Amino acid sequence: MSIDIPAGVRPRLPGGFKLPPFGMHQVLALGIVAVALWAMGLIGLGVQMVGQWVGSWQNEIRIHVYLDNKDAASSDKLSQALAAIPGVQGVRTISQDEAVAWMHRWLAGTGVDDATLAKRLPISFAVSIGDHAGKFLFRDIRDVAGKFGAKVNREEISLARAHDWLQNLHKLAWFMEGVMALAMALIIANTLRITLIARADELHLMRLMGAREWFVRMPFLLEGVLVGLMAGVLAWGMQWPLVWALGDWLHALAVQPHLGLLLPELVLGGAITGLLGALVATMRRISPDLVDY
Amino acid sequence: MNDVPLQVEMEQLMLRYPTGKVAVSGVSLSIAKGQFIYLIGESGAGKSSLMRMFYGAARPSSGVLKVEQLDMRSAAESRVRQLRQRIGIIFQDHKLLFSRTVFENVALPLRVQGWKRDRLVPRVQKVLEFVGLGDRLWSYPETLSGGEQQRVAIARAMSANPPMILADEPTGNLDVDTAQRVLDYLTGLNAQGTTVIMATHDLQLLESHPGRVIRLHQGALVSDSHAGQAYVD
Repeated sequence: MSIDIPAGVRPRLPGGFKLPPFGMHQVLALGIVAVALWAMGLIGLGVQMVGQWVGSWQNEIRIHVYLDNKDAASSDKLSQALAAIPGVQGVRTISQDEAVAWMHRWLAGTGVDDATLAKRLPISFAVSIGDHAGKFLFRDIRDVAGKFGAKVNREEISLARAHDWLQNLHKLAWFMEGVMALAMALIIANTLRITLIARADELHLMRLMGAREWFVRMPFLLEGVLVGLMAGVLAWGMQWPLVWALGDWLHALAVQPHLGLLLPELVLGGAITGLLGALVATMRRISPDLVDY
Repeated sequence: MNDVPLQVEMEQLMLRYPTGKVAVSGVSLSIAKGQFIYLIGESGAGKSSLMRMFYGAARPSSGVLKVEQLDMRSAAESRVRQLRQRIGIIFQDHKLLFSRTVFENVALPLRVQGWKRDRLVPRVQKVLEFVGLGDRLWSYPETLSGGEQQRVAIARAMSANPPMILADEPTGNLDVDTAQRVLDYLTGLNAQGTTVIMATHDLQLLESHPGRVIRLHQGALVSDSHAGQAYVD
């Protein structure tokens, strides 16, 4: 026995791996979550580009200390005193040949002879900083250097401080992303909860007919994941206009945003957040007539 | 009658709600397969509560209730779910889904049981033809009359071919003629071997469609026509 399903009629049977109808609530949730994911993507992109901008110096931070040639007698003591500061990984005395060669590169062939340069250049120490620099490390280096009449490269200290600041910014970015992910999960949970309440009769009937809980809840879990996935793709697409608009400025900073890396992060993050929201929404079942006494 | 397997067994069955209200008290009786049972009694007599215990929506507070050999007091949720797949339920307000077509409503129990579409569609067509609605497959329930809606509910209850149908006041909102037709379908199903347990206020139906009559009053069993005796005058 076979019957024809009329044209335009598409039977929608609920439960299991079937998505519930996509309505206005879902569209709104999609929009809100996409904007939140877009903001998260911007933060991620910002962290990525700042990382590029500061370059590789942050991987090996060195502070240079300069001692005038007339104080050469105290260079060993200064080196030992610098090495004794907590947080200092090592101190290297830069040889005169190395200093002269570096100066030549920097001056780019001005014709100054080596002997003149060697006479004018101070004794230089490269102080390597460990990963866990103390709060007063830079002040300690400056104090020790000052005690021996030496000077510290201030720009390098500023950069090292910027490195600390960037690390804090990185932590703040992670925190903000966590808060936004939670907010998104709650938005999705709220949307699905509205759908669940709107379809309470249907879910109740399915349970009365002996449906398993996964069968009843699966469409909502799928919907949560789908909303998150779509929002992730949408958020990724919304990054492009901004990157295009700032293209010249980013180019001037020698920064190249890698949007391709951001796509899997946003899509996966959106899907996980959507699933989390769906799990929260379906945690408490709505079937008032099926209470065990 | 002794060789007919029992479908429902009750022994000193009691149901007390968390509010303290005793809905069913000390009911002992048994229902064999293939019987047509009328549960009668005033509002609040315990008919609906008794029916809810049959499909596990409420668990007995004390006593024994076995439905298809399953002890409903201690049965695991998974076993109760399996039992529900073998019971068709018809409600007074029919509980049809108005946002879904007649087809989708009737197909719901089959979908829950994992029927594939190639089997499901002809089955839905067949049960709708049985209740005289074979041409309303793609209509929405709101376009149907009250009697037609109740017939859709009957079709839904019988779609998975359950051995037992529970009908809670299925004719409560219907006029006399429509109620008679609804009952015709239920007796038709009973004639095919399905046990039908029907709660009703409508005593007129008992005359036109005879069956075993169980009377409840304030949660207690008052009389059982099958036993041929009244427990209370």
